[in-house]
Amino acid sequence: MQLNHAQRELTVKIVYYGPGLSGKTTNLQMVHQRTSPEVRGRLLTVETHDDRTLFFDLLPVFFSTANGFKVKVKLFTVPGQVIHNATRRIVLQGADAVAFIADSRRSAAQENNAYWKNLQENMRENNLDPAQTPIIIQYNKRDLPDTKTDAEIEETRKKGKEPVVGAIAIRGVGVLETLFAVLQSAYRSLEARASLSKAIGLTEKEFLTQVFANIDVTGTELEKVLPQRAPQGAKP
Amino acid sequence: MRQGESVLQRRISLSEMLDTESFTEVVKGFVELYRVGIKVFDDKGGKIADIKIGNGDFCGYVFSFPEGRRRCTATVGRVKDGPLGLSHGARLPVLEPDQVPHAKGMLTVPCFTGLRYLIVPILWEGDTLGRVVFGPFFPDDLRDFAPKTLTEISEGFDVGNAKSLVEKVRRAPEGTIARVMLHFGQLLQTMLFGGQKMFLTSQLHIEATLDSNRELEERNKRLEDANTKLKELDRLKSAFLATVSHELRTPLTSIIGYSEMLAEGLAGALNGEQLDYVRTIMEKGETLLKLISSILDISQIEAGKVRLNFEPMDALELINSSVSSLKPQTAKKGVVLEAKLPPRMAMVTGDRDRLRQVIVNLLTNAVKFTPKGGKVSVTLTEIQQQPDLNSPGYRILVEDSGVGIPADQFDKIFHSFYQVDSSSTREYGGAGLGLAIVKSFVEGHGGVVRVASEMGKGSRFTLVLPVTPGSQQQVLITPPVTHVGPADDRF
Repeated sequence: MQLNHAQRELTVKIVYYGPGLSGKTTNLQMVHQRTSPEVRGRLLTVETHDDRTLFFDLLPVFFSTANGFKVKVKLFTVPGQVIHNATRRIVLQGADAVAFIADSRRSAAQENNAYWKNLQENMRENNLDPAQTPIIIQYNKRDLPDTKTDAEIEETRKKGKEPVVGAIAIRGVGVLETLFAVLQSAYRSLEARASLSKAIGLTEKEFLTQVFANIDVTGTELEKVLPQRAPQGAKP
Repeated sequence: MRQGESVLQRRISLSEMLDTESFTEVVKGFVELYRVGIKVFDDKGGKIADIKIGNGDFCGYVFSFPEGRRRCTATVGRVKDGPLGLSHGARLPVLEPDQVPHAKGMLTVPCFTGLRYLIVPILWEGDTLGRVVFGPFFPDDLRDFAPKTLTEISEGFDVGNAKSLVEKVRRAPEGTIARVMLHFGQLLQTMLFGGQKMFLTSQLHIEATLDSNRELEERNKRLEDANTKLKELDRLKSAFLATVSHELRTPLTSIIGYSEMLAEGLAGALNGEQLDYVRTIMEKGETLLKLISSILDISQIEAGKVRLNFEPMDALELINSSVSSLKPQTAKKGVVLEAKLPPRMAMVTGDRDRLRQVIVNLLTNAVKFTPKGGKVSVTLTEIQQQPDLNSPGYRILVEDSGVGIPADQFDKIFHSFYQVDSSSTREYGGAGLGLAIVKSFVEGHGGVVRVASEMGKGSRFTLVLPVTPGSQQQVLITPPVTHVGPADDRF
């Protein structure tokens, strides 16, 4: 988090982490598609010729609070390929919360574990306290054969404290739910650390409502959570 | 631990996102096409581009009057540094309905001369990175030029002159200039996006490279530390072996000495059985002494404590004396040992005792691994140019018809304590030190040792030795070199 009182600006950084080809960029593309252009920047992606992320993807989303504070949420992805570890470490710097995108297929368990460990290592290298940097796990590719059953995923969830969200990112399923979960936990951790509600008068409700005010949540679980409003913004 | 803040963590300025030179070219093109001046400032008022057109003479004339200069400076200040809001004389531009949604933050600032400026903030991800200023232009709706605010600056102000000078200023409706400005704004956004992408990625590439480097350096440091520790342990091991083997040798010499005295009957005659036992004690004691001596040798070599004594020596005598010391063993085992020597040979330089030890070691090995009825030979060649050494030298070949050595083991057999397979230790005895000692001594002479072998048919060890070792001084033998170290670097 970067809080600039002089410029009345708060920047929250969310990092999508995970093994190569687990769907990090797809998540960002889906968020981009469903977000109204007025409140987001362009989606910056740098890919190799075979669609692998070379450095990172970046999607900024911004709004102003009722108190006139400017809030920027920067969504980053890391490159998944093993050789880009230094880049992953740099992108992770200063993250307020992490969405760990795992591939649900049984065959991917080993990769998921390796990148989970890699995430812990790089968090340590960046001085990120795991107790203060929440992680959300997204089990992506729920539609593919060989995917873990709900019961198996439930087993995984029980092993740790991280919330788990199922997703089929390529179809937009679970993407906004993941974003919601990761932003909510980021807010709660920042509130515990820096009392945002006192410091800048930003409540969790305002934070989440404002971000999602310009995101089309039609057909997602979030319709039940967020206040009813007329659909707006870009169509999926 | 990673150090320093990444470029991703800070705000990027307009000048970092734009390549000033090519951006100026684009602005120039626009200015020439639409005949209206364009200035671009960053959020700190720094000038990124400034291309004027048409208004120079007119503004110069106005500027030549003190009051004109004062008013002009105030207007330019308003345009450049003033608030991007509807205050300080700024108003909303007159736009056509289709332009309104895109004209985010566009302002009109009138000049006291009657000309006009349009300002638009450069918005990027919700931030204002700077502003673009269009103008001055001559608005179509300006009917009565020159206005009072201009003519009043001086009594000497020549309206006729001003009118002719202002002719060169672009005349257009405000909406037209606004349209050009929106077009320019779109282009600028595209350039910013490309520029940001390039800037961030190139910076990130540098950061990642530096960080990988830092990681490698840390890893190297850890390896170096581990290596230093291992070397120290190795040195301690050698020192320990040297001490222990020395301490073992002293009492062992007494055991052998007293057994000898017993065997010679100095303490009274022994019966046949007693004599047998005592001789066995002597024999085993000798074996043990040889083993301990080898350990002492190798530990001293490894501790870097061995010096070679180079002096003139007779190679023929060297071979002959080595062969004769092996005679009892060959006779006992039933192996034929022959020496093939040139009829005569000039004196060479070397450490006779160490070279004798080398040949005895090789012959002992050859006999040990050759079954009964087999054959062992040692050959001495005449002195001739040796390509291996690039100097004149001679060769000593030790060949046997024994069990042989697998090709993949040729390197390893010269390592301390190595044996081709550990079962051979039980079968043939020895500590696996003989060849390590051979290699060290031969290399201490500036020579090379090579092995060739065929399983089940026998082995051949070739020593290539120079007539005169490179250094006439005593050479300190360092541990057998198993890798190329930095000492071999040219620079």
